Amino acid sequence: MKTRFQRHHALSWLWKTRVSQPVAASVAIVVLVAGVWRSSPLWIGAGAVLVLESLLGFISVRAKLLFWKRPASDDHGESPAISQPQPIHARRADGDRSDSLIDIMLAEGRYALLLRPQVIDNLSDQHLNQTVVELQEAMAIVPRGQVVLEKTTDASDDGRRDRDELERYHRRTVDVEPVFIDRYPVTNLEYQQFVDNGGYDEMAIWDEEVLPAMLDFVDRSGHPGPRRWREGHFTPGEENHPVVGVCWYEAVAYARWVGKRLPTDAEWYKAACWPVTISPGNWLQRMYPWGNAFERTRANVWGSGLDRIVAVDRFPEGMSVGGVHQLIGNVWEWMSGPFGSADDNSLALPVPMKSIRGGAFNSYFEKQATCQFQSGENPISRKDNIGFRLALGACDLAPKAAELLLSGDARIDDDTPVEEVSI
Amino acid sequence: MNRGCDLPMDSYRLAHYSVQVPCYVCGGGNTYDAEMCRHCQAPMALSHQSVAQKVCPNMVAVLGTSGSGKTVYLGMLMDMLSRCDDPLQVLARGAFSISLQQLTTSALAQAEFPSKTPNEPDRWNWVHCQVRCKHHRHPFDLIVPDMAGEAVLQEIDHPRTYPVIRSFLSKCTGMIVLIDAIRLQSGEHDQDHFTMKLLSFLSELFDAKESQHTGKKRKKKQTHPPIALVLTKADQCERCFDDPTAFAKTHAPGMWQYCQERLPTYRVFASGVAGACAYRNELGGSRRWIPLRIEPRGIVEPFQWLIETL
Repeated sequence: MKTRFQRHHALSWLWKTRVSQPVAASVAIVVLVAGVWRSSPLWIGAGAVLVLESLLGFISVRAKLLFWKRPASDDHGESPAISQPQPIHARRADGDRSDSLIDIMLAEGRYALLLRPQVIDNLSDQHLNQTVVELQEAMAIVPRGQVVLEKTTDASDDGRRDRDELERYHRRTVDVEPVFIDRYPVTNLEYQQFVDNGGYDEMAIWDEEVLPAMLDFVDRSGHPGPRRWREGHFTPGEENHPVVGVCWYEAVAYARWVGKRLPTDAEWYKAACWPVTISPGNWLQRMYPWGNAFERTRANVWGSGLDRIVAVDRFPEGMSVGGVHQLIGNVWEWMSGPFGSADDNSLALPVPMKSIRGGAFNSYFEKQATCQFQSGENPISRKDNIGFRLALGACDLAPKAAELLLSGDARIDDDTPVEEVSI
Repeated sequence: MNRGCDLPMDSYRLAHYSVQVPCYVCGGGNTYDAEMCRHCQAPMALSHQSVAQKVCPNMVAVLGTSGSGKTVYLGMLMDMLSRCDDPLQVLARGAFSISLQQLTTSALAQAEFPSKTPNEPDRWNWVHCQVRCKHHRHPFDLIVPDMAGEAVLQEIDHPRTYPVIRSFLSKCTGMIVLIDAIRLQSGEHDQDHFTMKLLSFLSELFDAKESQHTGKKRKKKQTHPPIALVLTKADQCERCFDDPTAFAKTHAPGMWQYCQERLPTYRVFASGVAGACAYRNELGGSRRWIPLRIEPRGIVEPFQWLIETL
């Protein structure tokens, strides 16, 4: 486990080099001058070699300094891990090393990276099937379609808009492309893989604007990790609990590390309310994933009486139609988008906020833990009741993988049954 | 033409009028049908209930500056405790006791904070409830009013402005003092000063009461009721939740010193009701501070500690 101090090893190395370089150069010049003064070819030669080495060292330091200052790629907003994927050189016949790498990635839950168009050709059929099955087990499909995002506040009803304007303002129809969404929120155990594998040191997966704040992304003992962890580890017994105490940027970095992304509001909402078209332009959308009435046995909110976070597999009765668990209650979930849109001037936020949805174990009012309800939070807040789940666009997968997923033909050799999916 | 009519002699009314009903808060005499005490404006229902149910309610005060969150804290506390039975259970006595939690929760559910409590005592919400807890063998009654912060400050600066405050505070067996953590964190000293002023006022009050009863002054430590110091709006500053005592020590040094020197029983807590807040632009260009979601935290703990200390 790397400490905050160890994360600064690059800086200390530069400092040391910066000090030693002038000393080495001075010694080289002294040797060269002494050789000229004594007319000794040996001293002159030695001096010349030392000067040359100092020059080369200087150039090398400059290059490293330049590299250290710009760790991320030039295309802002795009994950370097996604836009410039590291190819996995798998040997199909007898690739022991590559096989182990794929197994490691599968064990770490990074199967989504293996199904990228740039990587998939390196997988054997067996590995491809295995990876697809992993994805099917961990993620549920949200089919293509439209969803009506509803504003839950009536702040805009200030009398200046007519009825149609108000209707348009409150109800916004959004097209959603097919997307896979995690069946469960990301757990402590899954996030531990990210921490253990140096996720907090991989500058390439972090947004550039958050780098100055990263030294604060530590646990209670000062190690990189979620806020409530200690010594870089979650509390024993909570491996299956959703990871909390992570800010929006940490969630995004983890998503890039596993090759996924945070869901948009529309994707999350569609997965939860599962709209049904009753006539063109009219949809029936559920208030809760299980129906339109709140039931305390189906979600962990304040009224459920637990008053704490529970494991992600609790409350199975609250599962959505598509097979996504705990969308409501237990922990709020970070969305990829902002809270409050540019055309909405009803709210003035003290800081730009990111959207969160779903409610948490301490959500007091049931109407604030519905599929429709949206709240916001400062993206660098690391609160104890905000976690996240991830999404993966079907369009981000290689066509071969998408085909397997849609046809449901993926099988592992041991005849593990594969869930049928359809779009 | 005058039309004559027969009016029955309501002699029982006359009999009732002849007996003065003492106000439970100030002890002043009132007629039996008075709604509010004519001396202090406390609701006479408190007296009638204590007589009818043969109970002697304890009194607990919730104090703090204007805008420190007294109404929200008290309303949420009552609503939370009336919805669960562990570790404490609260049952309202009288319909008027439910008004506060109704007012608070209906405002919060609509993503609004309840409007400011008026200074006039006859417009305050009073709660009379029965409390059950494991620490006390028998359930007991409690009276908690939602007093306006400005009125309390005025009574401190100009004694006898609001007789109900002095009468009530002198009978209190426990206090909850709310301090706005956001204002403390932003470096404003008014919270620190107000709390010191309030604690000093309470000390004077209890010293005077004690000297009246015993004829000589005793040590303050024996007379002072327990005080829970609650840093409110702590959801906006997470450090406050991590260690409320350290936060109070750092941001309210005057209050902290006073507590250490003068108060025998006190504890610092942190509480928050809103998960996040924002401004809402109102018609006419004004802005209103609203809660984006309701996530009560640290509400019950100070009250529970106080009840166990009583």
